[in-house]
Amino acid sequence: MGRPPEPDFLPGTLEMLILQTLSRGSNHGYGIAQHIQQVSEDALKIGEGSLYPALQRLLLNDYVVAEWGFSENNRKARFYRITAAGRKQLGQEKRSFDALLVGIARVMQTP
Amino acid sequence: MKRRKRMLEDLDRDIREHIQMETQDNIERGMSPEEARYAAMRKFGNVTRVKEEAREVWSFVWLEQLLQDVRFALRMLRKNPGFALTAVLILALGIAANVIVFGVLQALVLRTLDVPHANRLMTLQPKEGGPFLAYPEVRDVRDDNTVFSAVAAVEVNDFGLEANGVTRPAWGYEVSGQYFEVVGIKPFLGRLLQRADDDHPGTSDAAVLSWPAWNGYFGADPNIVGTTVRIDKHPYVIVGVTPEGFNGTEKFLQPDIFVPMANEASLDGVNWLESRSYKNLFSIVRIKDGVTMPQVQAELNTITARIARQYPKDEDGLAFKLARPGLVGDFIGGPTRGFLAGVMALAGIVLLAACANLGSLFAARTADRAREIAIRIAIGSSRWRILRQVVVEAFVISIFGGACACGLAWMALTGLASWDPFAGSPIKFHVLPQPSLILMAFLISVLAGVLFGVTPLRQIFRADPNDAIKGGSSRSSAGRRWALRDVLLAAQIALCCVTVTAAFVSLRGLGKAMTMDMGFNPKNVVRTEFDLSQASYTADAADHFQRQLLEGIAQLPGVEAAGYANATPLDLDASMSAVFSQQSADFRPSKKAFDTYYYEVSPGYLAASGTSLLAGRDVSFTDTAKTPAVAIVNQEFARRLFHSERAVGRYFKNRYGVSIQIVGIIADGKYFTLSEDPKAAAFFPISQKGDTKTALIVRTRRDTGDIVGTIREVVHDLDPAVPIRESGTWNSQLALSLFPSQVATVALGLFGAFGLLLSIAGTFGLASYTVSKRLRELSIRVALGAQAKQILSAALGRMLIVLGSGSVVGIVLGVAASRLLSAIVYQASAQDPFVLAAVALTVLLAGSLSVAGPVRRVLHVDPAPLLREQ
Repeated sequence: MGRPPEPDFLPGTLEMLILQTLSRGSNHGYGIAQHIQQVSEDALKIGEGSLYPALQRLLLNDYVVAEWGFSENNRKARFYRITAAGRKQLGQEKRSFDALLVGIARVMQTP
Repeated sequence: MKRRKRMLEDLDRDIREHIQMETQDNIERGMSPEEARYAAMRKFGNVTRVKEEAREVWSFVWLEQLLQDVRFALRMLRKNPGFALTAVLILALGIAANVIVFGVLQALVLRTLDVPHANRLMTLQPKEGGPFLAYPEVRDVRDDNTVFSAVAAVEVNDFGLEANGVTRPAWGYEVSGQYFEVVGIKPFLGRLLQRADDDHPGTSDAAVLSWPAWNGYFGADPNIVGTTVRIDKHPYVIVGVTPEGFNGTEKFLQPDIFVPMANEASLDGVNWLESRSYKNLFSIVRIKDGVTMPQVQAELNTITARIARQYPKDEDGLAFKLARPGLVGDFIGGPTRGFLAGVMALAGIVLLAACANLGSLFAARTADRAREIAIRIAIGSSRWRILRQVVVEAFVISIFGGACACGLAWMALTGLASWDPFAGSPIKFHVLPQPSLILMAFLISVLAGVLFGVTPLRQIFRADPNDAIKGGSSRSSAGRRWALRDVLLAAQIALCCVTVTAAFVSLRGLGKAMTMDMGFNPKNVVRTEFDLSQASYTADAADHFQRQLLEGIAQLPGVEAAGYANATPLDLDASMSAVFSQQSADFRPSKKAFDTYYYEVSPGYLAASGTSLLAGRDVSFTDTAKTPAVAIVNQEFARRLFHSERAVGRYFKNRYGVSIQIVGIIADGKYFTLSEDPKAAAFFPISQKGDTKTALIVRTRRDTGDIVGTIREVVHDLDPAVPIRESGTWNSQLALSLFPSQVATVALGLFGAFGLLLSIAGTFGLASYTVSKRLRELSIRVALGAQAKQILSAALGRMLIVLGSGSVVGIVLGVAASRLLSAIVYQASAQDPFVLAAVALTVLLAGSLSVAGPVRRVLHVDPAPLLREQ
């Protein structure tokens, strides 16, 4: 069945990355994947296999809404837009992610 | 599911676009179109799998959110325990009412008898008249048919059962030889009765005990088989015990013992096995596999037509129909089903009213949360999500309500099953709760939850996020436009009025039945019943015993009058007899003038029973078998035969062609049921014919309790072997006749009270809600100088319209529905002005009671603090 699964993120991290991307402005699925890949300088490659389920999760939780629009080169595409509830959720996730990072860093820096 | 389909299509197109864009980018990077597309496809991977995973997310998220909603609902209920408790209680009562009624319906009507292949078991019943057949008729059907695998006759009888030196009255079935083949059960101990036991009179002395009798009277003795007992003084050997759970083939009548019908002459004192005019049996048949009902009916028609041709004197016009066995054949099946269906409908109405009540409560709560909902929609929550949460809350409440209802119903049905309303009678209610009732309760709860849970639907879908942003939620529509909750309240009040009307109709009916003229006066009368054939008396010996007893009783201090009869009015086993005019020469059943109730009485019976003799004389001991036949008849009898009540001295003939002179006229009464139309009745001197069945009637000036013991002593001193079936006040023995209407009244009264409670709660809730919503506006009005009347009409005017129109509709509906009640509740009529006035007054009272609080609040509105506040 195709390729091996994508290198795993921590659970929930992908959603956070998507919300962060969308907080700059609405975007379509392809654009989100491209953006994360470019900004992370190819460190994070978002597989479509996990991107679309994650987007569905966000949709169902009302963190994003989707609407049909036209992309930069005038193609019809589904644009995802972050909602107020999504922004709130992003804030929470950022805070707990920061705390997690600090924790991991402390452990790793202890010789 | 439409939404799901749309989401799936969206995802599909989304992925297609994604691959298109990737291909475009690849082309821009310099790939050939095919190459570019192929690369994009490869990068995306398995499209189907991605779609599957996305879909899985839906189910998972859905479950997760459901759990969240349930937790949220529980939290909301905990935060608001008053609301939660009221809602659960209202629902529990509404659901319990339905489950209990359904339980009774299931036990008495829906459930078949507890025997193998019960759906092949039927009873034959005359197309017209009572449920009874004569023995030769059953025998003819048994011998001539090709459609039944077995045919049997049953007579329910009371016996004196003597075992271990004690004689106790017991109920038994005299059954013909194929009875246990029809029933198809296996014995618990020993064997059951077989064809050979019923071959000819005296062929067998075998008897079979029922499981309850074996358990109750014989201490579940495992060595019971082979024991000799005496039934009406005749020795019988117990050959077996029926299995537990088999309670005979009548749902109300539990037999203790089964004996061969061939022996009936020695047990009953009358030989009716060859009589075609003595119709006293139930029949029960098992239909062969593969035979259809129309085939059976066709063959029955052929057989009965032949019998009618062969015996025109007795069987003219004979025709049978098939019916489900269990309810006195199927004789009381119709009324029982009708009554239960009526009660079920009322229970449904109560549940609907409860749902309407909760629905308006929910709608009001949702209105209060309008601001919160608008905010949630503004920050991107979907309306579906909010609706789902409200519905989940409704479901949580209804599941709690259903669980409580289950407990309530279980207790009520268990109580009903162990209830023995008529001591000494075999009548029991086998309504033990079945596990299927839990399912029923659950289904009703879910239904109720949906019903009241979706009431706020429109509110949620109309909610405008702009309102929340503008902060204008106080401009809520409460009290301005007609809202769904007003309609719900009107509907609820209408439904409650129906139950209140039904309750009053039945209460009034019972009241009338209690005071109605029965043609005799059971007050201060002790009635003692026994059958001398159970002590092996012949008719002559019985006559001697009865006269001696009457002399003894008449001498007791405090006895005003005493007499005896073979049966008394409103007994369960009333006998009827055909009447022919004096000119008649053709005594076929189809030529009779009419049927009359038939009693044999001693001198003094009329005085003792309080029956008024309007003309002529009482019977006398000088009327004997050697003197001309005489009778006393009631007014209806005289009217029907002579179109006049001047009948003393005139004659009529019985079915044997004997001329009988009328010597007295008595007032009309009730003979079989209290609800019957006037019926003809004839009272014959018991000294002209004689009967071992004895109902001793003693009218006393003393306390009836004292004299019961004295009468027992007198009977015992005369012959200790006479088993007294019952002795007590006549009123208490008549309880059985009043029982259906009492049950109906209690049931309907409860429904009525519950309906009233619901409408008070609903009206109060909505009135106080309206007032609190519009308090600010009302304050401004007061500040601007509005009068009390204007304020009231502004605040609650619409409320009164709702109340009024709901009540009117409800009373009209109730009157229409109450016609159905008159079948079971005696003298019930909704056109009764008393009933209408009582219902109107009750509704008015309940209405004023429920708006009194809100009205007070409106009248005491003080504008100052409210205006200062905002």
